Amino acid sequence: MLLLALPALLIPTMVLCYIFWQAVPVLNWGFLSGTADGVGFGVTEGIFSQLVGSLLLATMACLIAIPFALGTALYYRTFATPGQQRLMNAMFNMLQGIPPIVFGLCGLVVLVNLFAWGVSLLSGAVVLAVVVLPLLVLNTLVTLERIPNEYSEAGSALGLTKGAIILRLWLPRSWLQLLTGLLLAMARALSETAPIMFTATVFSGVVWPDSIFSPVTTLQTHIFYLAQEGNDPLLISIAWGSAAVLVLLVAFFGLLARLLQKLGGN
Amino acid sequence: MFDRCNVGLWIGFLGAGFLLLGPLYAATTTIKIAGSTTLLPILSEAAKQYRVTHPDLSLTVSGGGSGMGVANIERGTIDIGMASRPLSEREAERLGASIDVIPVARDAVAIAVSKAVYKSGVTQLSLAQIAAIYRGEIRNWRELGGLDAKILVIDKEASRGTRHVFATVVLGSARARAPGATIITGSNNEEQSVISRSDQAIGMISNAWLNDRVRAIAVGEGDMAVLPTIENVALGRYMIKRDLNILVPKGSGDEVKGFVAFLRSEQGQAIVETVGFHSVR
Amino acid sequence: MTIVLVLGFLLYSSWPLIQQQGIAFIIGDEWYPFESLYGMLPALVGTVWAVVLALLIALPCGVAAAIFCAELLPAHWRGSMRFSMELMAGVPSVVYGLLGMWVLLPLLESQLELLTGRTLLAAGLLLALMILPTIMVLSEDAIRAVRQSQREAAKNLGIGWDATLWRVLLPQAWPGIRVATLLATGRAMGETVAVMLVVGSIDRIPDPFYNFLQPAQTLTSRIGREMAEASIGSLHWAALLFCGLLLAAIAMGLSLLTQRKGAAA
Repeated sequence: MLLLALPALLIPTMVLCYIFWQAVPVLNWGFLSGTADGVGFGVTEGIFSQLVGSLLLATMACLIAIPFALGTALYYRTFATPGQQRLMNAMFNMLQGIPPIVFGLCGLVVLVNLFAWGVSLLSGAVVLAVVVLPLLVLNTLVTLERIPNEYSEAGSALGLTKGAIILRLWLPRSWLQLLTGLLLAMARALSETAPIMFTATVFSGVVWPDSIFSPVTTLQTHIFYLAQEGNDPLLISIAWGSAAVLVLLVAFFGLLARLLQKLGGN
Repeated sequence: MFDRCNVGLWIGFLGAGFLLLGPLYAATTTIKIAGSTTLLPILSEAAKQYRVTHPDLSLTVSGGGSGMGVANIERGTIDIGMASRPLSEREAERLGASIDVIPVARDAVAIAVSKAVYKSGVTQLSLAQIAAIYRGEIRNWRELGGLDAKILVIDKEASRGTRHVFATVVLGSARARAPGATIITGSNNEEQSVISRSDQAIGMISNAWLNDRVRAIAVGEGDMAVLPTIENVALGRYMIKRDLNILVPKGSGDEVKGFVAFLRSEQGQAIVETVGFHSVR
Repeated sequence: MTIVLVLGFLLYSSWPLIQQQGIAFIIGDEWYPFESLYGMLPALVGTVWAVVLALLIALPCGVAAAIFCAELLPAHWRGSMRFSMELMAGVPSVVYGLLGMWVLLPLLESQLELLTGRTLLAAGLLLALMILPTIMVLSEDAIRAVRQSQREAAKNLGIGWDATLWRVLLPQAWPGIRVATLLATGRAMGETVAVMLVVGSIDRIPDPFYNFLQPAQTLTSRIGREMAEASIGSLHWAALLFCGLLLAAIAMGLSLLTQRKGAAA
C-alpha cells in the first residue's frame, strides 16, 4: 500500500518544486514589472501586463458575482420554501459541475457576438463570474447557516425588520467568512483558462486595457500560448516563470482565505 | 421592507462596481487584428513600428489561424483579419461584396522534416511521395531511403491557411483528408516546436519558420526538385506557395486605412522581407 | 435559472445540426467539418478513455495516500500534508498543461519509444495528477469520519490492521470515496487546456480501440481547438455547441448522481 501511496504523496511536492526550480532563473523584479514593448512572439519578456490582466479579470468577475451570490443566498435563507431550497441546492451543485469551457462557449456566442461586446474584459469577467458564482453562493449559504437561529429570532422579537436583521445582525457576524469565500473565488477565477481564452484575451499588445470593452492579456493564456507554441528555451523559461507567479498568486489568495477562516472560526 | 433593503443592496453593489470601472472607460481608437499565425510576425512588427509614429493608436494582434481571421472579420469582432490563403468559394460568396482581400506578402509552404531525417539522406521528395505519406501509404522513412523509423506525420487544423495551400497542391483538393496523419497541430510555432523536438517528423510549414532543426526538403522529381527559397517562389519554380492576405472591411475608418497603406508602403514591405517573406511590390 | 438558460441556449444553437442530420451523428465515427460529417464518437471515446485512465491511476494512489495520512501519519504531519494537497488542488490547470508539454511528453517519448508522446496516456496521466488532490482530501475526510470506537472495537476483537482496513474502514468510508470519485470524474472530463496540449487532437478512434498509446481527441480539446474558427450559424458551429451540450449534460448527470450518493452517505 505504501508503494501506491508514495507517488501520490511525493509527486505533487515534486511538481511544485520543479516549477519553482525552473522559474528561478527568470524570476526577478524586471520580469514582474517589465511590459512587452512589441507585440510579436519572443519579444515579450516582462509579464506586467499579463499580471494586470489576470487580476483585473478576476476582480471584476468577483465584483459582478457578489451581488448575485448575496441576493440568491439571502433569498434562499429568508423566502425560499424547503422545496425551492432543495431545487436551488441541486441547481448550484450542478452549475458547479459544468465544465468551465461550456460557459466560455456560451459567452462567446451570447456576449461576444450577440451583445457585440467583442473579445473584451467585460465579456470575460461576466463568463468568469458565472464560473465562480456557485462557489460564492454555496459558501455564503454555509456562512449564513452557521448563524444561530436564536439570533434572528431575538432580532425579530425586538421588532427588527428582516432587512435590519440582515444588515445589523447577519452581515456583521459573517463578513469575515464572506470575505473568505470571496478570496477563494478570486483564487478560482485566477486559475481558469478555458472560459476566458476566447472571450477576453489576446496574446499581446495590451498593457492597460483602456476600457472594459478592450481585450486583455492574462497570465493563464500567456502560459498556454507559450507552452503550445514556444520553440526556444527562453520562451519556455518565461512560461515557467509565469507559471510560478500564477501559482504564487493563487496560493496567496488561498492562504489569505485560510488565515481569515482561522480568525473567524475560533 | 425587506424588498427595499434588498434592492438597496443590489444597487449599492452594482454602483460600487461601475464606479470602479468608470475611470477605465475612456475611448481611444483600437485596431484589432487577428488570424493567420503565418502573418503574425509581419503584422506584429508592423504594428510595433506604426505605433511609434501614431502613439494615440492602440493595435492588438493575435493569432488563431486563417479560419479564425475570416470568421472574426465576418462577425465584426476585429478590424483587420489575416489569412494565409485565398477566400474559399463560399466565403467569397458571403464576404466578397463587403471585404477587401489585400495581399501584403508572398510565402512558400515548405515541406519540413526533422534534422535527423534530413541527415539520414531524405533531402528531396516528389509530390507523389509526399501525398503517399499523408494518405498513409508510406509509413516508414526506410521506404524513402532514410533510417528505419516510423514517420510522424503532422497535419494541421482543417481551417488553417497553410493546410489549405498544401492540400490543394499536394493532395489535389483544399479539403482533402489526410488519413496518414499522426497528430494535428495549429500554428506554425506549434508545428515548428513538434518537428524540432522529434527525430522522425514531417510537416508543412511556412518558409519563415525553417531553422537548423526544422529543415526544408526539395520538392519535385530528380533534378527538377526545388527548395522553397524566395527566389524559387519569385520565379514560379516552387509550387506550394501563396499570397499572405489581410482582410479589410470596405468602408473602414481612416485609422485602419492608414495602417493598411503603411503595410504596403516601402517601409512596410521592408518589414516583410526582414521577417523572412517575399515582398509583393 | 442560469442552468436552464445555458442548456436551452446550447440546445437551441445546436438545433440546426440535429434537424438536418438527425441524432445519429452522435455515434458517427467521422468528424470532417468540410464534408459536413460531425460524428461525435471519436471525441466521446477519447474523453471516456482519458477519464478512465486518470481514475485508474489516481484512485488507488489517492485512496492509499489518504489511508496513509489518516491512519498512520502523526497528527502534526497530517496538517501540513493536507495543506500541501489543498495547495496542489489550487494549481491552475494551464500550469499542468505546461508541465505535461515540457516534462511528461519528452519523458513518455524517450521511455516508451513512442512516435509522439501526445497520446491518451499522456492526457490520462496529467488528469490523474490533477484529480489526485481532490480524491485524496475527500477520501481522507471519509476515512477519518469513521468512528474511533469502531477501530477500537476491531482492535479489541483481535483483528489485524490489514483486516480492519479492508473489513471496517474502507466499507464505511466507501460512500465518501465514491462521491470523491464522481467529483473527480467531472473535473477530469471538463478539463480543457491541459488536455488540449497533450492529447494530439486527432479525430480518430484509437486502433484497436484499447490502444491508449495513440493520439486522440476529447470533447473539450475539440471545442478548444475549433471554437474560434467556425463561423457563427454554420453547421460546424452548431456541432461544436452540441459538444458543449454533451459535456454539460454528462456533467449534470454526474452531479445529480453525486448528490444522491452524497445524500445516501
